[in-house]
Amino acid sequence: MNNLNSLQYFLPELFLSASILIIIIVDLLLKKDKKIITAYLSVLAVLVAFFLAYRQYNYAFTSLFEGMIVLDSFAVYFKVLTALSTIIVIFISMPAFRRHSEYYILLLVVTLGMFLMVEVNDLLMIIIAMEMVGIISYVLAGFNKFNMKSNEASLKYVLYGAASTGVMAFGFSYIYGLTGHTNLFAIQQAIVGHSLQPLPVFIAFVMVVAGLGYKIAMVPFHFWVPDVYEGAPTPITAFLSVGPKAAGIALFIRFLITVVAHPASQTTFIQNVQIQAPLLLAVLAVVTMTLGNVSALGQKNIKRMLGYSAIAHVGYMMMALVVFNTRGFTAIMFYMVVYMFMNFGAFWVVQSMTPHLGSEDISAYKGLGYRHPLTAVAMAVFMLSLTGIPPFAGFIGKVYLFAAIIKQNWYTLAVIGVINGVISLYYYAYVIKVMFLDRDEEIKAISVPLYDRVLLWLLLIPVLALGVYWGPLIDLAHNSIGFFFGN
Amino acid sequence: MEATQVLFWFIAVVTILSAGIVAFSSKLIHSAFALLATLVGFAAFYVYLGADFLAVAQIMIYVGGILILIIFGVMMTHRIYDTSKRTAHNSLILSLLGGAAMAAILGMIIFRSPWTATVFKTLKPTTSMIGTSILTNYLLPFEVISVLLLGALVGAVYLARREEDEE
Amino acid sequence: MIKLALFIWLLPLAAFVINILIGKRLPRKGDWLSVGAIGISFILSLIMLYRVLVDYDPNFLVQGSVPWIDLGVLKLNMGLYLDNLAVIIVTAVSTVSFLVHVYSIGYMEGDPLYNRFFAYLSLFSFSMLGLVMWDNLFGIYMMWELVGICSYLLIGFYFTKDSAANAGKKAFIVNRVGDFGFLIGLLIVISTVGSFNLTTIHQAVGQGVLHGGLLTAAGILLFAGAVGKSAQFPLHVWLPDAMEGPTPVSALIHAATMVAAGVYLMARLNFMLTFDAMLVVAYVGGFTSLFAATIAITQNDIKRVLAYSTISQLGYMIMAMGVGAYVAGFFHLVTHAMFKAGLFLGSGSVIHAMHHSMEKTGIHGDPNDMRQMGGFRKKMPYTHITFVIFSLALSGIPFFSGFLSKDAILGGTLAFAMSQSNPIHYLLPTFGFVAAIITAFYMFRLIINTFYGKPKNESLFKHIHESPKVMTIPLMALAFLSLYFIYTIPSISPAGPEGGWFTHLIERPISAVATQLGHPVLFIPEHTEHAAHVNGMLISIIFALTGILLAYLFYYWKKIDVEKFTQRIKPLYALSFNKYYMDELYQATVVSGLLLWNQMLAWFDLHVIDGIVNGSAWVVRNFSFMDGWIDKYIVDGLVNLVANMTLAFGKSVRKIETGQIQNYILGAVLGAFFIIILTMI
Repeated sequence: MNNLNSLQYFLPELFLSASILIIIIVDLLLKKDKKIITAYLSVLAVLVAFFLAYRQYNYAFTSLFEGMIVLDSFAVYFKVLTALSTIIVIFISMPAFRRHSEYYILLLVVTLGMFLMVEVNDLLMIIIAMEMVGIISYVLAGFNKFNMKSNEASLKYVLYGAASTGVMAFGFSYIYGLTGHTNLFAIQQAIVGHSLQPLPVFIAFVMVVAGLGYKIAMVPFHFWVPDVYEGAPTPITAFLSVGPKAAGIALFIRFLITVVAHPASQTTFIQNVQIQAPLLLAVLAVVTMTLGNVSALGQKNIKRMLGYSAIAHVGYMMMALVVFNTRGFTAIMFYMVVYMFMNFGAFWVVQSMTPHLGSEDISAYKGLGYRHPLTAVAMAVFMLSLTGIPPFAGFIGKVYLFAAIIKQNWYTLAVIGVINGVISLYYYAYVIKVMFLDRDEEIKAISVPLYDRVLLWLLLIPVLALGVYWGPLIDLAHNSIGFFFGN
Repeated sequence: MEATQVLFWFIAVVTILSAGIVAFSSKLIHSAFALLATLVGFAAFYVYLGADFLAVAQIMIYVGGILILIIFGVMMTHRIYDTSKRTAHNSLILSLLGGAAMAAILGMIIFRSPWTATVFKTLKPTTSMIGTSILTNYLLPFEVISVLLLGALVGAVYLARREEDEE
Repeated sequence: MIKLALFIWLLPLAAFVINILIGKRLPRKGDWLSVGAIGISFILSLIMLYRVLVDYDPNFLVQGSVPWIDLGVLKLNMGLYLDNLAVIIVTAVSTVSFLVHVYSIGYMEGDPLYNRFFAYLSLFSFSMLGLVMWDNLFGIYMMWELVGICSYLLIGFYFTKDSAANAGKKAFIVNRVGDFGFLIGLLIVISTVGSFNLTTIHQAVGQGVLHGGLLTAAGILLFAGAVGKSAQFPLHVWLPDAMEGPTPVSALIHAATMVAAGVYLMARLNFMLTFDAMLVVAYVGGFTSLFAATIAITQNDIKRVLAYSTISQLGYMIMAMGVGAYVAGFFHLVTHAMFKAGLFLGSGSVIHAMHHSMEKTGIHGDPNDMRQMGGFRKKMPYTHITFVIFSLALSGIPFFSGFLSKDAILGGTLAFAMSQSNPIHYLLPTFGFVAAIITAFYMFRLIINTFYGKPKNESLFKHIHESPKVMTIPLMALAFLSLYFIYTIPSISPAGPEGGWFTHLIERPISAVATQLGHPVLFIPEHTEHAAHVNGMLISIIFALTGILLAYLFYYWKKIDVEKFTQRIKPLYALSFNKYYMDELYQATVVSGLLLWNQMLAWFDLHVIDGIVNGSAWVVRNFSFMDGWIDKYIVDGLVNLVANMTLAFGKSVRKIETGQIQNYILGAVLGAFFIIILTMI
């Protein structure tokens, strides 16, 4: 479809862009102590974009802007998800960031970047969309500019990001060199049609994986994660571990099922060229979750612990990438939603409790179960859900992930996954133990504002509800991936 | 050997050597100036490939913009000019190993792959073609980049701005 | 119809959610919300019953379901199964629940946890209604546990009182034993049939998918759940203690509805019980009915008498399910729900009065103790009259509802015994008839001690007064519902329920087991049934009157000196008074066994679990002593070793995080090549 006609299908993104400009202008007119209004406007903007995106669900598959991006249910699913993550993160940030409208403007730009990331269909657009998310994230990670740790985190993020983007671009140049196209579908046709040699495709694939792996914090491209997660402001840490990660995984899946493989039968994908992609992904998944979990074990700082655990969860999700069928992708898409709620929940507890506890150390949570039971119970639920203990949503998510790989006889992978689950129980349960079993002689009750409690409930309810009733969501995910087979 | 080929090898050697200096020089200012040669060398390669616009852009942006900024930064930083602070080479062996492995694999691929690009074609100006592409097929990336730059601008302004009432 | 049922079901849930969250801040602490919700449910259930009555079809059935869980291998639906059985029991539950809600407004007035009480009642109503309407066993099991939790919460409602907290725990734990059986039964069903849906199970059993010994085992295991919930021997011990809860709770949960859930379950699953399983059911029920009745004779706590009476009556129903008197058993469930709820509410009214009187006079004592009462007839006329009506119904005196249902059960049991070749089965009707005499006896013992005679404690008696209207009106409503003709319309014969709407609508389901080969089939010829019914009716009237007469002889006319008589049969009396020492028996065996086990667990906790948790810190401190330490505590050592090794590994892995960006990138490059090489080989 040509550029002009494409605009009608580009409403969410257009609306976001317009909102960014408007909010920048509104910001100029606001007094210093009224800057919080931009936060409200941002929520509104993302909310509208959310609904505009949602309306696009079940549109027929459309290729937009001369094939630069595509509009399909898969993209819409992730657009809705990422928009939701932005909304949540704005709510999480509001109490702490009241004076900087730039913060919210930047979040909107990232959201636009994430929208593009999940619908790209061209190598060039992949780089631009990823950089859009990346560059703005660098600034956000260093947003506390008087905090040395935040600065350091930002700088490391920049350097590491630059390196990995370079590697990925180099990989793209290989792909372009091999096929002569930048459009993903054209690349798919070329690879299948010319039956290329596996080796260069494989190396190009590895390079691209390096770039994507950096975005989703996959081992061995994860080195930036702990430093950045610890140094960045807590809401941004939470955001980085959900929103951009979801977009990265969407992009990863899209790359896998166009460049690496193509739809074959009703539910499975066949590789374009026989390369060891599944094995590579399996090894990466194992390394990622094991390193994430094992590193999280002895952490004293809760944000760093959650950072490592975020790496581990990427590993869990990657397990289901290896099977190359709808079951696996559906499981990932479902898990991403579940993970969003439980992870945001855990980070929100950290964010709202840090001022009361005075520290981000796990030991500071001592006796929280007696000081503010609701928060502690909610935190316990998030921890148990992250571990994957029934009846919480995390369990259901894990069941689908494991079911997907066991169906395809990846038993070793499943066993390693389960062992990792057991390891993770140690550090998640440790938080619970500290909150409930250790207590001070004197209990100093914490009073938590209504806003904090309401937000806590809003994050808690999905974790509980999805643990007992998840049918519609899994259907939605399944339906979204199904379009690749034309249904 | 033709003159163009001689020239090619000369540029190649200069580029690689200067890149080596960038990486291994113990003085920052030396690295900065060596980078100049590397970047110009790349521009020359683009000319060889018939990418005239890219070559000019390379010189204007990298040499004219970024490199000057780096040298300014190095010169204006207090006393960095004559310190001989070494960048740390913590694990030289591992680094060499990694580099060698990378070179081996990439080399193997470069020499063994059936690239689709045509090697020889008549040289003609590419600027107008690029311009047309940007406003037709590649309009979206072009526009999206403007939003990206806007965001980057906002971020840069925020980071550089002096806060009056903070600390 | 489905929508109607959904409203009936979900309204109390909404009330619960609102009440538990913000009930405290609502006007009147939100009692109107719970009462209103169940009130609307009550009205809607009447509409539903009306529709069923208009239809007047024994095979009436409405089903509706939505997919719920789909894990590939396991598909579960959420759905409702509304047949006559369900509609009638929904009506009964909502009726009693509504009346108890209203009654509680008066009874619980001024309680500090007033709003929470109503929230719990709402949650209970929701779960109980769900239990009887779900269309699959899994949902039933969920609701089954939920009513259990409500019961636990409400028994321990006065949780500051130790005995109440303990009673709550006891109920919870004893029920776990039964529910464990239930769970295993469920697993047998799912592993053979592959579905929890009642209709599917029915078909599968009919086709012989689940058959033979396994079917019998499944039936008995599912029955184990009922034994726990319906307080049958030997798991009956929790119900008398459950009387620690507020009296409205005893009326609603521990007399009328929840404890009848076991009977309901047996009715629902009647189609899959083999002959052997039915015998087990019948004997457990029959024995319990007699066993509990003999205990009720000697108790002095007014609520405990009623509690044992409830156990005994539940035994009747269970026995009826076992002998194939399905209609009679279910009928008794409904009539019993009405008059037993009435009895409890009546006793609550008495206790309420006693309590207030004790507060005024400053006498400390047990307001439940019959030995402090007597002569209340004049002061509490409404309570007195309704109480007598309920007791007559319970004793099985004609013109009251209990007569119809109890007589039907006894007749059914007799018919069963007559149709079997083995004369040992005459034990069952014997249990039933003896229990009938005793029932009439202890009920009138209770009435005479409470309402007649001279006041035993004058100072207390002075301050006794009738309860407020909000409490007596539910009593009257329940008394009305204990009259026979409610259940026999359009016939008005007091002799039996035949020809009435109830027996028309409820039919014994065709046993799915019967159609399989190799299973003995329970068949009772019609003439036997008829003969048994007539005989049974005569015997039961005579027996009931005998029981009442005996009570008057002992306690009203005092023709027989109770004290002397007690002395003469002292060992028997002691046995009954101490509830056959069941609690002591459990204390000596199960509880102390558990305590021992607990100590072992505590030791394990202390040495192993804490060892793991504290392992990291400990190991770092004491690393050099590691070797000797392993020798000392091998188990702990091994566990800690694993934990420690993982931790050490984690530590070395984290060393990669040097903070130097060059190293990070180097690490990434090396890692990538390592993995490439690994996968290419």
